[in-house]
Amino acid sequence: MTSLMDHQARETVGYSFSESTAGVKQHGFYPYTDNGGSTLGITGSDFAILAGDTRSTSGYNINSRMVPKVFKIGGDDETGEGANIILSVVGFAADGTALKERLDTVVKMYKYQHGKPMSVSACAQRLSTILYQKRFFPYYVHAILAGLDEEGKGALYSYDPVGSYEREQCRAAGAAASLIMPFLDNQVNFKNQYIPGSGEGHALVAKKPEPLPLETVKGLVRDAFTSAVERHIEVGDNLQMVIITKAGIEEVYHPLKKD
Amino acid sequence: MPGFDFSNYNRNAALHARGVPLPKATSTGTTIVGCIYDNGVVIAADTRATSGPIVADKNCEKLHYIAPKIWCAGAGTAADTEFTTALISSNVELHSLSTGRDPRVITCMTMLKQHLFRYQGHIGAYLVVAGVDPTGVGLYTVHAHGSTDKLPYVTMGSGSLAAMSVFESMWQPDLNKEGAIALCSEAIKAGIFNDLGSGSNVDVCVIEKDKPTQLLRNYEKPNERGEKERNYRFPRGTTAWLNQKVISKEDMKKYVTIETLSGDDNLAAGEKMEVDV
Amino acid sequence: MDKIVAQYSRPSHQNEFYSEQEQQDLTETLPPLSLKFALPPVANPSAFLRAMTDDHSNPSCPIKLAHGTTTLAFRFQGGIIVCTDSRATAGNWIASQTVKKVIPVSRLSRGEDKPSNEPTPGLLGTMAGGAADCQYWLRYLSQQCTLHEIRHKRRITVAAASKILANLTYSYKGYGLSMGTMLAGVRTTASFLPSNQVGLELTSTAFIGNPQEGPALYYIDSDGTRLPGNLFCVGSGQTFAYGVLDANYRYDLTEEEALALGRRAILAAMHRDAYSGGFINLYHVKEEGWVHHGFDDMNPIFWKTKLESGEFSNVTSEL
Repeated sequence: MTSLMDHQARETVGYSFSESTAGVKQHGFYPYTDNGGSTLGITGSDFAILAGDTRSTSGYNINSRMVPKVFKIGGDDETGEGANIILSVVGFAADGTALKERLDTVVKMYKYQHGKPMSVSACAQRLSTILYQKRFFPYYVHAILAGLDEEGKGALYSYDPVGSYEREQCRAAGAAASLIMPFLDNQVNFKNQYIPGSGEGHALVAKKPEPLPLETVKGLVRDAFTSAVERHIEVGDNLQMVIITKAGIEEVYHPLKKD
Repeated sequence: MPGFDFSNYNRNAALHARGVPLPKATSTGTTIVGCIYDNGVVIAADTRATSGPIVADKNCEKLHYIAPKIWCAGAGTAADTEFTTALISSNVELHSLSTGRDPRVITCMTMLKQHLFRYQGHIGAYLVVAGVDPTGVGLYTVHAHGSTDKLPYVTMGSGSLAAMSVFESMWQPDLNKEGAIALCSEAIKAGIFNDLGSGSNVDVCVIEKDKPTQLLRNYEKPNERGEKERNYRFPRGTTAWLNQKVISKEDMKKYVTIETLSGDDNLAAGEKMEVDV
Repeated sequence: MDKIVAQYSRPSHQNEFYSEQEQQDLTETLPPLSLKFALPPVANPSAFLRAMTDDHSNPSCPIKLAHGTTTLAFRFQGGIIVCTDSRATAGNWIASQTVKKVIPVSRLSRGEDKPSNEPTPGLLGTMAGGAADCQYWLRYLSQQCTLHEIRHKRRITVAAASKILANLTYSYKGYGLSMGTMLAGVRTTASFLPSNQVGLELTSTAFIGNPQEGPALYYIDSDGTRLPGNLFCVGSGQTFAYGVLDANYRYDLTEEEALALGRRAILAAMHRDAYSGGFINLYHVKEEGWVHHGFDDMNPIFWKTKLESGEFSNVTSEL
């Protein structure tokens, strides 16, 4: 609102640079934007899936309806051909891109210098140190890394913004993580599910998690996202699914609601 | 004392100062529009209600009744728009009874702006008031601080810019009823698809001279949910329990009155809820 | 005027490309051993970091880091018991229920979690506070310990290892690290490695420090504190664990009793502290090395404890 009162108080015209910056309280250095969106990853006995929506937002605006969040790491060309590791990043898109570029370079250099592709477990630890290098000025991202381990099993590693990491069966990250993760706990790790008729009261036996087949997991991923779209305004437009098996990397897109 | 109760004001201000966050009000980050045509006025709204980034209601009603030929579209804090319009609706009816005349849109708009100005914007109601009265067609916007506008086409809410872009490119002075409905619907859809605060369906209300008002609830549904891929029915006995207690109908009767409805679904009282299966 | 010009002009293309150092970082496959961290371009980096990441002082901070824990370790006649929960929280959000908060330190002697009861030589570190801080710096410590083993042909003492970590955290004091860690290990004369394991010939056996350190336990935190002791609990649930531990602890506990006590103390903390929970992770460090005694869901253990010993009688399933 325009104020008519405090004009006399100022002696000179208020150019910001007419005052010395020394001693002036620095405020409002805010280098982060939340670009919304959500990602999730699930592994099976011989595959790993990373998925994310393709909406990029800031505030109530949609920046783009087609910004992929899952990337192939260490491929031979710009299409990512020849890669055996995939990475999803959600949070601040600029940090996400920077992180992906950096990891991609590192994995490529590894291949050039050692003449063999980097293992997923080595890449996982390297990503952790890359994130921790910026411990005091963090990358504002939640990363998930996936691939196949030395035994050919699906491997999934999830990260916090400064690089603490853990290998897991499934993980949801980003805006709708709090909506998707409980669903995954229940449907992938069978949390709070018991075997009917296996006992009375405390003798009831909990349902043991086991690796799920690929088609089941694809169904879970699509249901997780169509449901997240219903209840989270920052998730929508398209679903990107990247599936890594010993045959290679398959990438598919599905339309999501656009409201 | 009538009106608002301020007894918790000081406590809440103190808590807030110590870092306790305010509870989130359901707000209708919304697109609402209105547009006059040769023989009346059309208002329209989307149906999404949000609480922060979460969709609180996928199909809420943002078109509020004030008088048979005066309706109001509300954006802002959901509770404020509902209670403010309900209050003014009552006062408009009392006023019409005491004067013996049909209520006027400008009267209603004035009552709204005076009420909202008194509360200095703390009542977060942003409204589009539209109607037909003996003086002709009326279409106004009312902001939470009390300022008003009178225009041939208006938009409000977080999707107002998206909606206005449609009006600015497609509005003509000599619209007919069908044209006005289509234009308003198109403007709402611009909000639904380009503003994250707006979504789901289009509600339309048509107020025409010498004709009953039409409320076209869910006039368009461009965002229907698709089929789920998997079945999420759990076998009976999946959930663990430690103890059970059966309360018979006879025991219940000690505390509440029980009326048995017949098995016929159509006789069951109340509107049927929409449930995802 | 000169001042203004100086303030608002800078060499053209100053920050256009990667600096030589940055280019080298990118092309180098191995992470640098020298500890360089990127800092935000503001006068007070730690205040910036606090504003962005400290959800205690700013509940709506944009970057939520994983936190929260109960960990404990105590010395007794049969060695050292190390026990932790497995929950990581970011604000009110449970980020994970399956965190491994006991980290084997020293790579040469580290084994992955083996199901067998065979002891693995080496130290154990525990993780409380910032998950990334603990993981990274224990990994760093592991590197240093491995280098020590290679250079000196003998395993590092717990005292020396803990001092490396404490010196490190002290040098970063005020930067905003958050960690409370315990180092546990047993060093005996057996810790002198056979020369073939290192690949170099052992020519002389000069004793440095105390070769008979025995079971040693140290507490190190991000303030730079380093304390030797018999019994520590660290984390948001530490008081609950201390309550149980102090009431039942004796130095001459049998191995069975000690394991049960460690598990029971963590269970109490997981029950009462919202920021602790998940699985009970139990280790026993003895002379030959450490042994893993399970990573078990707390829920069945809780009900078993309640029903079999009549504890937790405040919890009922009555309707």
